[in-house]
Amino acid sequence: MSRSARLVVFLIGAGCVAAMFAVAFFKMPAFGGSMHLYRDLAVPASVSHYTANVVASVNFDQRAIDTLGEETILVASVIGAAVLLRPAEEEAEMRPKAVGRTLEATKLAGYLLLPVTLLIGLDVVLHGQVTPGGGFQGGVILATGLHLLYVTGSYRALDRLRPLELFDTGEAVGAAAFAGVGIAGIVVAGNFLANIVPGGTFGQLLSAGTVPILNGAVGLEVGCGIVVLVAHFLQQDIIISAQAEQAKPGGSSEPQAGERVGTAERS
Amino acid sequence: MTTGQLMPLMIAIPIVMACLILAAGSYLPRVVTDILATATAAGVAGMAAALLIHSGHSRVVTWLGGWRPARGVSVGIPLVADPLNAGLALLVAGLVSCALLYSWKYMESVSGRFFALMLLFLAGMEGFTLSGDVFDMFVFFELMGAAAYALTGMKIEDKTAVQGGLIFGVVNSLGAYISLFGVGILYSRFGQLGLPQLGAMLRQHRPDALVIVAFVLIITGFLVKAAMVPFHFWLADAHAVAPAPVCVLFSGVMVELGLYGAARVYWVAFGGTIPHADVTRAFIVFGALTAAVGAVMCFLQRHLKRLLAYSTISHVGLFMMGFAVLDDDGTAGAALYVVGHAGVKSALFLLTGILLNRYGNVDEHRLYGRARGDRLTACLYFAAALGLAGLPPFGLALGKSVTEDAVAVAGYGWAPVLFIAVSAVTGGAVLRAGLRVFGGLGPRPALESTAGAGEESTGGEEKPETGGLPRTPVTMLLAIGILLAGSLAAGLLPDAGQAFAHAAQRFTDAAGYISQALSHAGAAPPRPDPAVAWTGEGIGLDFLSVALALGVAFLGLYARRLPAALRRSAAPARPVIAVLRQVHSGHIGDYVAWLFTGIASLTALLGLPLL
Repeated sequence: MSRSARLVVFLIGAGCVAAMFAVAFFKMPAFGGSMHLYRDLAVPASVSHYTANVVASVNFDQRAIDTLGEETILVASVIGAAVLLRPAEEEAEMRPKAVGRTLEATKLAGYLLLPVTLLIGLDVVLHGQVTPGGGFQGGVILATGLHLLYVTGSYRALDRLRPLELFDTGEAVGAAAFAGVGIAGIVVAGNFLANIVPGGTFGQLLSAGTVPILNGAVGLEVGCGIVVLVAHFLQQDIIISAQAEQAKPGGSSEPQAGERVGTAERS
Repeated sequence: MTTGQLMPLMIAIPIVMACLILAAGSYLPRVVTDILATATAAGVAGMAAALLIHSGHSRVVTWLGGWRPARGVSVGIPLVADPLNAGLALLVAGLVSCALLYSWKYMESVSGRFFALMLLFLAGMEGFTLSGDVFDMFVFFELMGAAAYALTGMKIEDKTAVQGGLIFGVVNSLGAYISLFGVGILYSRFGQLGLPQLGAMLRQHRPDALVIVAFVLIITGFLVKAAMVPFHFWLADAHAVAPAPVCVLFSGVMVELGLYGAARVYWVAFGGTIPHADVTRAFIVFGALTAAVGAVMCFLQRHLKRLLAYSTISHVGLFMMGFAVLDDDGTAGAALYVVGHAGVKSALFLLTGILLNRYGNVDEHRLYGRARGDRLTACLYFAAALGLAGLPPFGLALGKSVTEDAVAVAGYGWAPVLFIAVSAVTGGAVLRAGLRVFGGLGPRPALESTAGAGEESTGGEEKPETGGLPRTPVTMLLAIGILLAGSLAAGLLPDAGQAFAHAAQRFTDAAGYISQALSHAGAAPPRPDPAVAWTGEGIGLDFLSVALALGVAFLGLYARRLPAALRRSAAPARPVIAVLRQVHSGHIGDYVAWLFTGIASLTALLGLPLL
């Protein structure tokens, strides 16, 4: 279709869909109303399992299989990115030379923030059952913390302190642990993803039964998964595109552009 | 262990095994990975078989985490198996097993990740099939998607593979988000997400604008997956580039799961409020259009995988018509049709994969006469192609005759003509390709493209998926044999028809589903099962479609030798074909524009009669 034909077809369709949404929205209950069936069920259910954070209870206890599905989506996406971003047969991996300078102030801030960020990440993962947060949010913070190394130092520094194989394994272990806790529920209580651990004290760190365990599993999986994901994108951008630089007419010769490390050698 | 506990295991075990392969993949020898993955899928198939046997007596219900409903509402998520979705779960696991068996020695460069993705894909499909919760269905729908997009783009050396994966990802994700909007709108009103709870609430509810819009939006995502025209564009682009064993899962069952999702959500949640007549009309229109467009596009292809992909689109249209009549007969016929189709179509994709690995491309014209000496492959190919055209006693033929009869009885007397035409044209296209490739029949076709602007892909530049194999490995042939045998069994086993009738009867008994899921009451006394069996008339029509398919095939081969007067009579069709080709442009923007038009038409078909 020509550009304008496409626009016309789209606008006709999208106009109708917009009208549908408008009609449906006007039939929806007003925002902030006092009637809410699911809330009235979920809050007592959460309290009955000693979980102060009702959202955590919904995500990791009442509807835990949704979360199993969601964290598995992340695993599939990370594997997918790894597969699609792997060096193709004709692409070569180059080790980039350390170039550019980082401001001293940036370095200092980065090194100071690195432990702080990791601590905050751990805190968010561990307290998911009592305060907003949990494995997904905390895992992302942990992964971000590690990438402060990239900001402060160089790609090489990050590369050295980030054994990818280990993070690959960590991701798999985290994801499998979630499913494993679910299967343990069948063994102990006869129900998949049953809350089988003693509830503890409402509002305390040790509460909510399996919720903190599942949060930990998700934290491990998400933290490692994001590191692996970002690593593959960085690798594609920094290492593999280095060859394209070099292939440019008039570009610098090979030893100056970087050190050649072989073709498609990564597993 | 109870059967209810099997259902979550069918989701969890493939996830655990995928993680294991991912973590230990580089330390394990390749053959161990092969065996682990295949055994996992086969194990899930075994569990699905046990579930199927149990669900035949009474539905199997489990509320995960033990969050059972009280007074008809719950915070939890149920998994519910009746014979239809238990059978679908078995089909999923069976096809994944065959695809993995075929994949031994496959995709050397990414083996661990390939197997992990296949197992996650399995987990997603099983979750979607067994779930009795509309949001949970969305989650597993997304899991299927995430794995499927990556599996499509696997062959990154081929730029079109990445493009195909991207189109698939964008169009399907858009469909999924639209579904999510629908789920949200529904939840805002009812505060529940489980299908049985929603069904019980909606039964006492007038179908107002919110309900209609929510229904349309929810099923839009599923119909995108089911490749209904005009949501279908992604399918051919994705199938053309995906590795053959992945195509098996796409065509054999993933697309059909979209239909299952739409049918399940309608029957249980919305069936008591949106009138059956309106849904039947809308689904028949979409199904018939899909069947016709798919058949024409199928005949125009020379890229073998694209040809098979359009044949899938066309057949899904026919399945849709079976479900659309919303009775036991149509549902039983469609289910049988799906199973029979899965066997022969999967076999055809794997055979195409063998051609690709042996001869280096999948272009019907380039392969002309190349596979002449390959007797075994040729026999399997023609058996599957004739099966696709509707040859008894393949299960596909029985499903086709039951479905066309049910649609005709429901008041669409023209339906058998469409069914036979679609079988003849798609079967004919596949036979034509086979006669050229294996028989070297007809004049040598031109290698350069004859089509004008718009979609045309020859398949000449497709990359092989294995390092050159001296001969076809036994595991590949075994997988193809199992698939064909499965399709034959669906038509030949004496009780198969009755089993499908029983499954359909349970599937359409929404009241039974709701009461059993919510109160664990025993099954209501079942209505008598419909009669599903071979009939003389049905067999006659099946043979007619096979004969016509052979005619179409030879017409395709020798069209250039027809008298000029006869060829001129086809001239009026040319502009239609040119437009169809141009519409299938390969441009994501076009596909998105059509998607919105599709939603608008679906709403018009469903909503306008209720004004």
